[in-house]
Amino acid sequence: MPAKLFRSVSAFVFTASLIAAIHAASAATPAELQKARHDHYKELGEAFKAVRDASKAASPDFAALEKAAGIVDKASVDQQQWFPKGTGPEAGKTRALPEIWSKPDDFTAAQKMFSERAPKLLAAAKTKDVAAVTAAFKDVGGACKNCHDTFRQPED
Amino acid sequence: MTEGAAPAPRIRVWDVPVRACHWLIVLFVAASWWTAETKRMDWHRYSGYALLALAAFRVYWGFFGSSTARFSQFVRGPRAVVSYLKGRWAVMPGHNPLGALSVLVLLGLLLSQVVLGLFAVDVDGIESGPLSTYVSFDAGRVAAEWHEELFDALLWLIGLHVAAVLFYLLYKKENLVGTMLHGMRRFPGAQVTPVRTASWVRLTVGVVLAGLLTWMVTRA
Repeated sequence: MPAKLFRSVSAFVFTASLIAAIHAASAATPAELQKARHDHYKELGEAFKAVRDASKAASPDFAALEKAAGIVDKASVDQQQWFPKGTGPEAGKTRALPEIWSKPDDFTAAQKMFSERAPKLLAAAKTKDVAAVTAAFKDVGGACKNCHDTFRQPED
Repeated sequence: MTEGAAPAPRIRVWDVPVRACHWLIVLFVAASWWTAETKRMDWHRYSGYALLALAAFRVYWGFFGSSTARFSQFVRGPRAVVSYLKGRWAVMPGHNPLGALSVLVLLGLLLSQVVLGLFAVDVDGIESGPLSTYVSFDAGRVAAEWHEELFDALLWLIGLHVAAVLFYLLYKKENLVGTMLHGMRRFPGAQVTPVRTASWVRLTVGVVLAGLLTWMVTRA
């Protein structure tokens, strides 16, 4: 291949990849971000159910319990990235209330309550102590409710 | 009724278990509604368990209870409904053929509602019915959505039921609410047989069975 052609092709491939990469990074539209957030919370709901199911079982599946508690724990940190500006009701159907963005300090505090309590659930799951799991589950549930009461639109 | 004649005697129509069941269902349907609206989910579950026991007992009483409580006595075909609507149905203690349909639908809806609640899971996976551990999150969500939809249907039917009672009160001058409270009704110009009550043994067996079923379901 002549050197000139090789350079042109390389330059083209490089530029094209660069454009694609930039595009991928900025491609998430508000609607896609909302969808992703919704999916994240659904996964969190499934994990909560798994924790509850395991803690209520006659012979709990501690491996499943720990896995689910791990998902909850990870989500408690990740959720701090799930509410970028522009993904409120103005961007489409969502139960996320505008207060999330108009009262950022309160919202951050509510999110922190979750991320502070979730590790205790994971710790309890690791000790295989069902009573501790039940108590920690209630505690984490309280953090969910605390945030939802102010920042999530009630179901109609 | 001719002047000076004694009014028709009061005949017992409903036994105590039927009346108690009826008003306890009223109480706990109201309680379930209120606890759901105000998100008191612990109490909502208890109220639902009470309704499960009551509905189960009522089904049992429909087979082994007093004469007017039995399905075999009041559930009749469409022809009977038509002749009742045409006014060609002899007055007798118990449900008329049209009212019987209302009883079946109300009881069926109540049972379906309770069963859906047993499997329901809330959107956060935090609150759930006692049998939800046997179904997936998605199935639990579907149960919860139907639980919500079906309650509207139940409310409409309760409205229809109350409207029918009001129709009797205002148009036919018959106080059926009183009859459901004290169990007695007058039948002017008609010879009717009062309710045949069921034995204490049957009542005890029914209460124990309903309690046992509820206990087994809710501790699962």
